[in-house]
Amino acid sequence: MEDYKYLFKVVLIGNAGVGKTCLVRRFTQGLFPPGQGATIGVDFMIKTVEVDGDKVKLQIWDTAGQERFRCITQSYYRSANALILVYDITCQPTFDCLPNWIKEIDTYASSKVLTYLVGNKSDRLLHREIPAEIGEHFAKQHSMRYLETSAKEAENVDRLFTEIAVELTKQAKENFLRPRQDSTSGKVGMPNGGSSPVGGLSCCKLN
Amino acid sequence: MECFGESLNQELEDLQEHQTAIETKMLSLHKMLPNLQLLHTDSRQLSSMVSFTSTLAENVSGKVRQLDLAKSHVTACMQRVEDVLDLKFCTDGVQTALQNEDYEQAAAHIHRFLSLDENVLRMTEGSNEGSTLDTSFQLLHEAESKLKKIVHKNFDAAVHSKDVASVERFFKIFPLINLHDEGLTKFSKYLSAQISETAETNLNQALSVKSSDKRSTVIFADTITLLFEGIARVVEIHQPLVETYYGPGKMFPFMAALQKECDRQTRKIVEKFKESRDFTRKVQKVRQSSMPRATAAEKIDPKELDVLLAELTLMNARAELYLRFVRRRVVADVEVSQEEDRTEKVAEVDKFLSDCDLSRLMQELVGSYIMMEEYFMKEMVVKAVKMDTYEGGAMTSSMVDDAFFIVKKCVRRAMSSCSVDGVCAMLNNACTMLEQDFKEELHSRLKLGFPSGFDLTQAYNLVQSSIQQGKLQSSDTEKAKANFLCMLNDTEVSSDYIQTLKKNLQAEITKVFGHVHQHSQEKLESCLSELASVSNKFREVREFGFTQLYSAAIKPRIKPWVDTFSATSHLIDDEEFTNYEANDPWVQAFIVQLDNLLNTFKASLTTGNNDTFVSHVTTEVTIQLEKAVLKMSFNRLGGLQFDKELRALVGYLTSVTTWTIRDKFARLTQMATILNLEKVNEILDYWGPNSGPLTWRLTPTEVRQVLTLRVDFRGDDIKRLKL
Ligand SMILES: Nc1nc2c(ncn2[C@@H]2O[C@H](COP(=O)(O)OP(=O)(O)OP(=O)(O)O)[C@@H](O)[C@H]2O)c(=O)[nH]1
Ligand SMILES: [Mg+2]
Repeated sequence: MEDYKYLFKVVLIGNAGVGKTCLVRRFTQGLFPPGQGATIGVDFMIKTVEVDGDKVKLQIWDTAGQERFRCITQSYYRSANALILVYDITCQPTFDCLPNWIKEIDTYASSKVLTYLVGNKSDRLLHREIPAEIGEHFAKQHSMRYLETSAKEAENVDRLFTEIAVELTKQAKENFLRPRQDSTSGKVGMPNGGSSPVGGLSCCKLN
Repeated sequence: MECFGESLNQELEDLQEHQTAIETKMLSLHKMLPNLQLLHTDSRQLSSMVSFTSTLAENVSGKVRQLDLAKSHVTACMQRVEDVLDLKFCTDGVQTALQNEDYEQAAAHIHRFLSLDENVLRMTEGSNEGSTLDTSFQLLHEAESKLKKIVHKNFDAAVHSKDVASVERFFKIFPLINLHDEGLTKFSKYLSAQISETAETNLNQALSVKSSDKRSTVIFADTITLLFEGIARVVEIHQPLVETYYGPGKMFPFMAALQKECDRQTRKIVEKFKESRDFTRKVQKVRQSSMPRATAAEKIDPKELDVLLAELTLMNARAELYLRFVRRRVVADVEVSQEEDRTEKVAEVDKFLSDCDLSRLMQELVGSYIMMEEYFMKEMVVKAVKMDTYEGGAMTSSMVDDAFFIVKKCVRRAMSSCSVDGVCAMLNNACTMLEQDFKEELHSRLKLGFPSGFDLTQAYNLVQSSIQQGKLQSSDTEKAKANFLCMLNDTEVSSDYIQTLKKNLQAEITKVFGHVHQHSQEKLESCLSELASVSNKFREVREFGFTQLYSAAIKPRIKPWVDTFSATSHLIDDEEFTNYEANDPWVQAFIVQLDNLLNTFKASLTTGNNDTFVSHVTTEVTIQLEKAVLKMSFNRLGGLQFDKELRALVGYLTSVTTWTIRDKFARLTQMATILNLEKVNEILDYWGPNSGPLTWRLTPTEVRQVLTLRVDFRGDDIKRLKL
């Protein structure tokens, strides 16, 4: 048995080339990979972090942004505890695509999934095409949290994943401590995907 | 102040102590002085001796160095003479060889010439050798370019006349005259042309295959397989040639060139495949049909996809196999040729392979496949649910077996594609479908509830007699009850099926994907483990079903039976006690009714569900009896009577259950023990240090409470008890 208290699935999505893989590598391996090739299908990495003394295992699914992998990547949305939607602050088209991504999330993900909007490549200040306020405003409109990151300069990357781990742990604890409801009105009866979206009994493990 | 003075004194004392020590040391130093002077003279002598020796040695080694230099000059000179001789030999030889069309020989001469250092040789210019050397070089350069032209021309001619022997002959000459790249390019072009020709023939044949042919449904998979096998054979045959004459490290460019042709041919085959399978339209149709608002009429029949899906997976499986072959060959070559940066080179190979058109085309096909397979699975399960039938005698309805048959079929088919991402996606999709569609279906049916207010036993008898009389098929309530129990069974069996599915798929995945990278295996493992949590969700639905059943059929049913017990006086004299023995007041009837209840459900529940049901019933019996006992009064004989009754009940329940029932009755049994006491103090024989193996489930307060139920026990005695 591995030594962890909670296991959460985090899925990164967004256009090709916005830096999803670099963000994951920066967080899990502490490096900025030179010449990072496009992701094929879906890649996954694991990193364990500590939240209030509890070991929290993050299972990070890094999806390919290229269109031809869409059917494969969509299948990962439902079981995600958190989604990170990434765009490139120096590339307007990646921002313009966000509504399409939101539609995908609405269609496939659990309604209560924790979602972050991330504007990556914040180190390329001179090439910025989307002002931070615009990104933040968009995030607010769609009830997402917002962060700007740089995988290259390790800016806000740890913070992004740590915030997610903390928030998910908090939700899991709340779910767990809440007295078990009568099944007739409780979680079994909730609509699709609503059943124990976080931690709960199904996706967290207690040793 | 005083304190300061004290520390000052202390310091002074310390200093004095030091002084004496220093004086002793000075004295001994004085004694050593003459010795030191002696040492000084000795070492000066030694030093002059050493420096003399060193000068001597330097003189000698300088001479040796000069000798060395002279020797290497001589060697270089001899080398140069040899080279000059070789050069002359080559100049003469190459002319003769060219005249005799002995190109191998000519190439050998050129090869020798090219290995000479022209600049060094030219340094001898100015001496009388100079002019002859010049001519030699000129002649050789001429011969070199002449030979190059000849080799190019003859190779092309050989290709043109399909003269395999000559093609190979000139292919081997290219590297001798430093034309490695040209040789490989020309050769792979030649091989590509062959591949192309065969592929075209194969594709045309495929297109003319009749639909009655038994391979017709997978003809494009067959065709693409032929292409891959053909290329593999070409590699098999020519790899030794490349390795021998071109040296290690050439497999990557060689295979890369062939891959270009493979890509071209694959594109053609996939194009024809799409055309003749009406692929694009079907994909489009499936996409539309997957929309939530698509009407049944617009939807494509999933059965229409079955054959296509099989062919798609087969195509990808072949491609994976082929790409693995290519990778193995190239990586092996990288490993022998590349001293350092091996991982980098291998990464380059991997990138090339995952970016090649073949890979891209297959990734696209797998994407479409996943979408259609998901649709197929979902629609087939919806159909199974729609056509759900429940036959009398069966525990479950048809949709459970049907649905899981479909899920298994689809995931297995995905597995046959050999695409790790494809299998992962289908596992995810299967989980989603089971949880969102299938589980919700069961859940919503269970939500209808178990009809109450009508006694099942009576209904059962009524229906039996009605059926026998041919009057009535089955009442609506009766049907609803049967349906509910069937759904409860369906839910339990589903949750088990998912576990079994997981186990079986795990085994198959290990078999099919045993060779893939550790990382991919972990990915598969992780997607597979999601099935376990889906199984648990079905368990939750089953629990929900049982709460429905409990409130409708268990709790209200037991209530009146226990009421009979409450109404039976346990304040009895000898006569009444004997009378009870002859005419049991309640427990026998209770057991009969209980037996009836359990039997009726037993016939309609799976073993697992029945166990749970019996467990629920017994728990409820103990809860209600306990409550009733605490509201009643007993005398000595009444306590004895109750003890007898309880034994009968436990005896019966033990006989009908597979697990031990006594634990559930522990509290009641202990109550009976207390009610059966002679006098209050006797409790101490069973309590505390005297309890022996008995573990009390009653608190001291509860013990007192039960004792007070005995009308003949005095309150003061009970109060005085030390528990
Ligand atoms: N300057 C800068 N460049 C970045 C940053 N993050 C990623 N990049 C570059 O952006 C390119 C794409 O990065 P990836 O991480 O491969 O992008 P991706 O989103 O994973 O792309 P797909 O896998 O195709 O979906 C690479 O060339 C990276 O070097 C960043 O924070 N700053
Ligand atoms: Mg990537």
